[in-house]
Amino acid sequence: MDGKGWERVRMARLGGSSASRGREAAQLRQVSSQTVRLGRVQPQAPSHRTIYCNDREANLLARFKVNSVSTTKYNILTFLPKGLFEQFRRVANLYFLMISILSTTPISPVSPVTNVVPLSLVLLVSLIKEAFEDWKRFQNDIAINSTPVDVLQGENWETVSWRKLQVGDIIRVKQDEFFPADLLFLASTNPDGVCYIETANLDGETNLKIRKALERTWDYVFPEKASEFKGEIQCEQPNNSLYTFTGNLIVENQTLPLSPNQILLRGCSLRNTVHIVGAVIFTGHETKVMMNSMSVPSKRSTLERKLDKLILTLFGGLFFMCLIGAIGSGVFINRKYYYLGLFEDVEQQFNPSNRFVVSILTMFTLITLYSTIIPISLYVSIEMIKFIQCAQFINKDLRMYHAETNTPALARTSNLNEELGQVEYIFSDKTGTLTRNLMEFFKCSIGGVSYGVGITEIERGQAQREGRALNEIQKSDTVVYEKGFNFDDDRIMRGAWRNERDPEIFKEFFRCLALCHTVLPEGDESPEKIVYQAASPDEAALVTAAKHFGFFFYRRTPTTVQLRESHVEKMGNIQDVSYEILNVLEFNSTRKRQSVVCRYPNGRLVLYCKGADNVIYERLAGTNQDIKRLTREHLEQFGSSGLRTLCLAYRDLTIDTYENWNEKFVQAKSSLRDREKKLDEVAEMIEKDLILIGSTAIEDKLQEGVPDCIDTLSRAGIKIWVLTGDKMETAINIAYACNLINNDMKQLIITSETDAIREAEEKGDPVEISRVIRDSVSHDLKRCLEEAQQDLHIFGQKLALVIDGKCLMYALDPSFRVDLLKLSLNCSSVVCCRVSPLQKAQVTSLVKKGARRITLSIGDGANDVSMIQAAHVGVGISGLEGMQAVMASDFAIAQFRFLKDLLLVHGRWSYIRLCKVITYFFYKNLTFTLTQFWFTFHTGFSGQRFYDDWFQSLYNVIFTALPVIILGLFDKDVSASLAKKYPQLYKEGIRNTYFKWAVVGVWAFFAFYQSLIFYYFTTTASENGHNSSGKIFGLWDVSTMAFTCVVITVNLRLLMACNSITRWHHLSISGSILAWFVFIFIYSGVMTPNDRQENVYFTIYVLMSTFYFYLTLLLVPIVALFGDFLYLGLQRWFFPYNYQIVQEIHRDEVDSISRTEFLEIGNHLTPDEARSYAIAQLPREKSKHTGFAFDSPGYESFFASQAGVYVPQKAWDVARRASVRSSKRTSQR
Amino acid sequence: MNVPTADPALEADAAVERKKKSKKPKYSRFTQQELPACKPLLTPTIVISTFALIGILFIPIGLASLSASENVVEIVYRYDTECIPQQSQDDKVAFIQSSATDKTCRTTLTVPKNMKAPVHIYYELYNFYQNHRRYVKNRNDKQLRSKEYELETTNCAPEATTVDGSPIVPCGLIAWSLFNDTYSFAIQNKAIEVNKKNIAWQSDKDEKFGSDVYPKNFQQGGLIGGAKLNESIPLSEQEDLIVWMRTAALPQFRKLYGRIETDLVANEQISVTIQNNYNTYSFEGEKKLVLSTTSWIGGKNDFLGVAYLTVGSLCLFLALAFIVLYLLKPRTLGDPSYLSWNRNPDRH
Repeated sequence: MDGKGWERVRMARLGGSSASRGREAAQLRQVSSQTVRLGRVQPQAPSHRTIYCNDREANLLARFKVNSVSTTKYNILTFLPKGLFEQFRRVANLYFLMISILSTTPISPVSPVTNVVPLSLVLLVSLIKEAFEDWKRFQNDIAINSTPVDVLQGENWETVSWRKLQVGDIIRVKQDEFFPADLLFLASTNPDGVCYIETANLDGETNLKIRKALERTWDYVFPEKASEFKGEIQCEQPNNSLYTFTGNLIVENQTLPLSPNQILLRGCSLRNTVHIVGAVIFTGHETKVMMNSMSVPSKRSTLERKLDKLILTLFGGLFFMCLIGAIGSGVFINRKYYYLGLFEDVEQQFNPSNRFVVSILTMFTLITLYSTIIPISLYVSIEMIKFIQCAQFINKDLRMYHAETNTPALARTSNLNEELGQVEYIFSDKTGTLTRNLMEFFKCSIGGVSYGVGITEIERGQAQREGRALNEIQKSDTVVYEKGFNFDDDRIMRGAWRNERDPEIFKEFFRCLALCHTVLPEGDESPEKIVYQAASPDEAALVTAAKHFGFFFYRRTPTTVQLRESHVEKMGNIQDVSYEILNVLEFNSTRKRQSVVCRYPNGRLVLYCKGADNVIYERLAGTNQDIKRLTREHLEQFGSSGLRTLCLAYRDLTIDTYENWNEKFVQAKSSLRDREKKLDEVAEMIEKDLILIGSTAIEDKLQEGVPDCIDTLSRAGIKIWVLTGDKMETAINIAYACNLINNDMKQLIITSETDAIREAEEKGDPVEISRVIRDSVSHDLKRCLEEAQQDLHIFGQKLALVIDGKCLMYALDPSFRVDLLKLSLNCSSVVCCRVSPLQKAQVTSLVKKGARRITLSIGDGANDVSMIQAAHVGVGISGLEGMQAVMASDFAIAQFRFLKDLLLVHGRWSYIRLCKVITYFFYKNLTFTLTQFWFTFHTGFSGQRFYDDWFQSLYNVIFTALPVIILGLFDKDVSASLAKKYPQLYKEGIRNTYFKWAVVGVWAFFAFYQSLIFYYFTTTASENGHNSSGKIFGLWDVSTMAFTCVVITVNLRLLMACNSITRWHHLSISGSILAWFVFIFIYSGVMTPNDRQENVYFTIYVLMSTFYFYLTLLLVPIVALFGDFLYLGLQRWFFPYNYQIVQEIHRDEVDSISRTEFLEIGNHLTPDEARSYAIAQLPREKSKHTGFAFDSPGYESFFASQAGVYVPQKAWDVARRASVRSSKRTSQR
Repeated sequence: MNVPTADPALEADAAVERKKKSKKPKYSRFTQQELPACKPLLTPTIVISTFALIGILFIPIGLASLSASENVVEIVYRYDTECIPQQSQDDKVAFIQSSATDKTCRTTLTVPKNMKAPVHIYYELYNFYQNHRRYVKNRNDKQLRSKEYELETTNCAPEATTVDGSPIVPCGLIAWSLFNDTYSFAIQNKAIEVNKKNIAWQSDKDEKFGSDVYPKNFQQGGLIGGAKLNESIPLSEQEDLIVWMRTAALPQFRKLYGRIETDLVANEQISVTIQNNYNTYSFEGEKKLVLSTTSWIGGKNDFLGVAYLTVGSLCLFLALAFIVLYLLKPRTLGDPSYLSWNRNPDRH
C-alpha cells in the first residue's frame, strides 16, 4: 500500500522528520509552498484517494463525485428564497420591505398596497433577470455535460456523454478535443508517449505544452490492450493547485511516482496528437480547473457609490421631515377638537394626554407616508438601462467590431458603463495591446551590409513629426506576404544572394536562422501550408524568414532538423538536407542567447548562436573588425527605428573539442543540484570565439490606430501609462511610436541601470544592493520632483516619467510612495518598464487609492490579470487566443483603438445618461413627496395622505417609469462622431460635472419650488364652488387634480432634460400621461363591490365637469416648469456647457447614418489592411509572446520560476535527450 | 520520427466553420444608437418666443377669468361671535352646549349688486380639520351604500355602536359631527324659499349613499356631535349629510347649504334668521354665511385670474428683457470661443 514514492510525498508534506531525507523534503516543500495559485488554495485533506483504473465496482465504494458540473446559482427549490435574499441585501429593497410591514399596522396612513405593489414589481423584474441569466448558465452546463467522449467498455470504445464519466474510467480523447476531466495520461499515438496540450483556458498561454506518459503505460493505446490495464492510482485529494500533483501509479506491484507531467487537466485541449488514452482521476467539481473557478470580485462604479451618499442624504431629509411632522403632531393634538372624538380611551397615537407617544408614533406614520422620497425603482431602472446599454449598444457596436479576428466588443459586467465615462488614468500593457505581438522579419544585416527596404511606422512617425518626406521604395511585385515576414530586397531574395560579394556568409546566416531555434513544424510539409509552433513569435519569424530565403525547415525529429535548401549548389537547385542536432543550449534570461551544435551531413560540426548584441559581441573571436563595426552601426540604426535586433554568430568545432565539451555537458545535465547553473557554465565554455555573421531586425508592429487613439485620449484629458516587461529602450521606443512621448517633453528617467547599482550588484551582497538602490531611488525621486515642479510651473513643459521595475519596487515603498505619486501625477505620460504583474497592480492601486482618480487597465495576457482586477475598470483584449485577461476583465475589446469608442462614446453617453436618470429620479420623487409634506401642515400633522393609495404606488412604477428609462437609453447630447471629434468633451465626465452636489442642489431647489406650486395652486384655487351649480370639491377631488398636475409636469420636465427626442420619447411620455388618465378614468369610474374606501369615486368626472380643471391643468404645469425653463435658458445663454456649444456648431448637420459605411467594410481595404486581413485568414499560429524573445527579457517565465511555477518540459527536451543518446552512439562508434 | 501532422481535411472544415460563424453584429439603428431624433436647442430665439407665446396666451385667459370672477356677487357674513348674546360672550362654549339657551340669531344683509338666481348659500368653517387622519377615515362606506352592510362599523370608533351594541347608521365621527346651523331668509318679511335639493354631487347620491339605508340610532348617545337625521328619509336623500361627508381638503372650507331661486336686487335688505347650533367655539373656529352667485368659472375666485395675469405678464416682461439683452449683447450660436479649452488654453 505504502509505496516508496507515496511515502516520499507524505514525508514532504509532513515536513521531513527524518534527517536523511530532510533536505530533499525541504526542497519539495519549498516548491509546493511557492506554487503560484489561482485563487485560494484549500487546505488539503491529509488523506489520499485510491483509484482502481478500469474497475467501476471497486471505485463505487469511494463515492467519487460525478463528472457533471453545475455553474448555476439557483435551482428550482432554492431560487425563491435565495433570490429574494440576494434582493433584500440591497438597502433600498430592505427599506421598502420594512415600510411595507409597517404599513400593515394601524399606524400607517396608507394601505399596504402603496408600498407592496412597487416593491413586488421591482423584485419581480430583478428576479426575472436573475432567472434568465441562470437559465443561460444552465443551458451552457447542459451543453458541456452532454459533450460526447469515448470510454472503454470491455474491449471497445463507447461514446458516452461527459456527465456519465466516472473516476477510474479509461477514456480516449481525440485531437482538438477538450479533456472532460482531470486525467492520468497513459498512452498516446505519438512516439515516446508524448502529447501536446493547449492550456489557454487555464492560464491564457497558448504555446503548446508537452505531457509525457510513464514509459510503463505507453502500450495501452488500443482498446484491446487498454482493457488489460489494471492499475491502482494513489494520489492527493482534489485541490486547486494547477501546477502540482503528487501520486503513485501501482501496476503489477510496481510503484511508479506520478508528476504533473502525466496529468491532463480539464479545460485543456489536445493538439498535434491523433488521440490519447487516459484514466480519469478527478471529476466534475473536483477537477483543478473547477476548484479554481473563483467569483470575480464585483466592482461597483464610483457613480453608484456617490448615489449611495445621495440616498443617505435623502434618508436624512426624510428623517428631518418626519421630525417636523412629529413635533407638530405632538403640539397640535388637543381635546378641544371634539369632532375628532379624542375621548379618554382614544388610541395612543391620538391621545392628547401623552404628547410624546403621539410624536413618536406619528414619526413612524410619516415615514411610511413619505417613503416615496426614496426612489424604489431607481436601482432596478438603472440596472435595466445598464443591461441594455451593454447587451445592445456596447456588444453590438459595429465600430468596435474587429473583422479580422471576428470579434465584437463584449461587456462582461453591466455595472461599470458609466465608469467608462469618467476614466482619468489608463494603464496599458504593451505587448499585444499597443503592439500587435506580430513579429515580422523586417531587415537584416549580413556580413556588414544592410538589407531590407521597408520603413517602420516609427520611422514614418518620426519623419512626420520632423516634417521630413520619406521616399518609400516601391516593393517589387513578387513580394511575398506571410505572417512574420515583411521583407523585401532584390539583392538577396530568390537566390540572388549568390551574386553578392561573399555568398558563403549568406549560407551561414540562413542556416543559422533555419537550425538554431526550438520551433516545431506543424501541418503539411510544404512551404505554403506549414505552420511553425514557436514559443515566441520572434522565433517563428526567423524560421519563416529562412524559409523565404530558400532554407525551408520542414521537419524536426528528436535528433535531426531537416531543411529543404534551394539555390545552394546552383540557382534553382532544390535538395533536402538533414542536419544532426547534437545539443541545444537553451535561452534563458541570464544567458540572453541560444545555441545549437549540429553536424552537417558531411561531418562538419558547427555551433550556431543567436542572441542579444552585447552578449554576442563579448564572445566574438578577435577577427574581422570591419563586420563588427558595420554590424554595430546597423544594430543602432535598427534599434532607433524601433526594431528588435538579434546577432547571429557561428563557430566551427573540431571533433575533439566537441567530445571533450560534450562529456562535461552530459555530466552537467545529469547533475541533480544546481543543474541550470552548471549547464550555463558548461555552455559558456563552448560559446566563445564566435564568428559574427550579421544581425536580424524584427518589427514589433503597433496595433492599428494606436498613435491616433492615444492622441485623442490624451486630448480628452486621459493620462496613459504604459506598464511593460520590456527593457527600457524598447519601452521608450514604443512610447515614442505611440505619441506618448515626444521631443517636446522632458524625460525624467529613474533607472537601476546605473554604475553604482551595477557595481553593488556585482559584489552580490543583497543587503548592500537594496541599500544602494534605495538610496538612488530616493535621490532620483527628489531630483525629478524638483525638476518637475520647476519645469511644469515655470516653463509649462510637459513631462514624461520613465521608471524601471527594480526602482519601482523601492519607489512603491510606503516612504517614497507619496513622492512617486506626486511626481507621476505631474507627468503627462509615464512608462514603467521591466515591471512584474504584481507591480502593475501596485501602480494601478497607487493611483486608484492615492489619487482617488478613476483608473482603467487594459491588457491581453495572463500577466495583466492582477492589474485588470485592481483598476476601477478592467479591459481585456479579446480575439487573441489567451482568455485569462478577458476572463478577468469587465470589458473586452479586440483592439486598443476601440478604447476611443468605448470611452469617448459609450462611456461618456452612459455617464451623462445615468447622471440624468439619477438626478431626475431624485427630482421626481422629491417633488411628489414634498407636496405630501406641505399637506401635512394643513391636516393637524396627523399624517393624513394627500393621494390615494394606488396613485402613490403606481406613481413610480407606471406613471413615471418608462420615460426615464428611454432617456437613459437614447439621450444623446452629441453624436458619436462629434464625441470623438471633440475629445475634450470627455473632461466633463472626469470632473464629474453632471453629478455634483451643485447639480443635485439645483434639482432639489426646483423640486421644492414645483411642489409648492402644485400644492398651493391646486388647493388655493379650489376653495369655492367651481361650476355654475356651485357644488364644492372634497379632499379627493383636489388631490386628484394635484396628482394630475404632478404627473404631467414631471413627464414634461423629462422632455426638457432630453438632448435628442426620438419617437420613443414621444411614445413613452405621452404614454405615461395617457396611462394616468386611462387609469383614473377606470379607477374612479367603477364602483367595486369589495370593501374599499371609495374616496376617489368619480372625482375625475366631477373635476372634468368644471372649468377649474382645465384652467388649472394649463396653468400649473407651465408655472411649475417656468423656473426650470428660465434656468435652462439662462444657463445655456450665459454659461454654456461645452457640449452645448458643440451642439450649436453642428446644429444644422443631419446625423449621418453610417449604415453604408459599415456595409462597405471589407470591400475597400488599403493594401496594408488587405495584408493583415490576409494574414488573419491564414491558419493561425497558436502561439503568443511568453517572453522567449531575446529582446524582451522573458520576465514572465522569470517571475514564474521565481514563484516556483512548474515550467513544463519543452519540445526541445525531446531533441536534447535524443541528442545525448545519439552522441553516446557516436562515441561508441 | 516526425511529429504527426494534422489532418488537412479537418483543418479545411474548421476554416469553413469559422467563416460561417461571423460574430459581426447586425446593423440596426437601435443598436448603433442612430435612431432618428429631433434635437431641440434652447436657443435665445426659442426662449424669447416661448416666453412671448406664454404671455400672449395667458394674459387673455387671465383677463377672462378675472372678469368672470368679478361678475360674481358675494355676500359674506361672519356670525360666530355676533350670534352669541352679550352676556355669554365670555363663555361661548357653555352657551352653545346648553340646551336651554335660545340660539336664534337675526341679522340683516344688504345686497350690494343685483344677484341673479340661483343664489348659492354656503356655510364656511375655519379651523375645522375635516382632513385630519382620524376624522377622514372615520366612516364606513359599505354601510352607507347598502342596507345589507348595516352592521359594518369598521373604522367608525368611537361612534360605531350604541351602548347596547347595535350599530349606528351612519356611523363614524364625520356623520356624528354633521353641521346643524340653519338659515332662513326673508325680504320685507316675505320668506324666501331655500332650495336644499341638488346640493350634493350626483355621483355621491347615486352610488355612495344607498336609497335603502335609513338612519338608525343616530345621535342617540350621551354626546351630541351635531345635527340629527330624519330616520324616515334614506341616506341618498339626506343631501346635507352627503355634502358634509365629502370631506374638505383644507381646514377652512365652504359647503353648499342650499339655493335661493329668486333674483336679488341691489340694495335689497335681506333679513336672515340663523339657528346658531353648531359648536365651533370649543376649537376657536369661525363660521360664516355666504351668499354667492356663480359664473362659468364658478364662485368668486380671483386666484386663477390673478395667477394667469401675473405669469403672463412676467413672461412678456422676460421676453422683452431677453430681446433687449439679445440686442445689446448678442449670443452667437456655436461660437467656438465659448469652449472651455479655448477660453483658457493653459489649463488644457
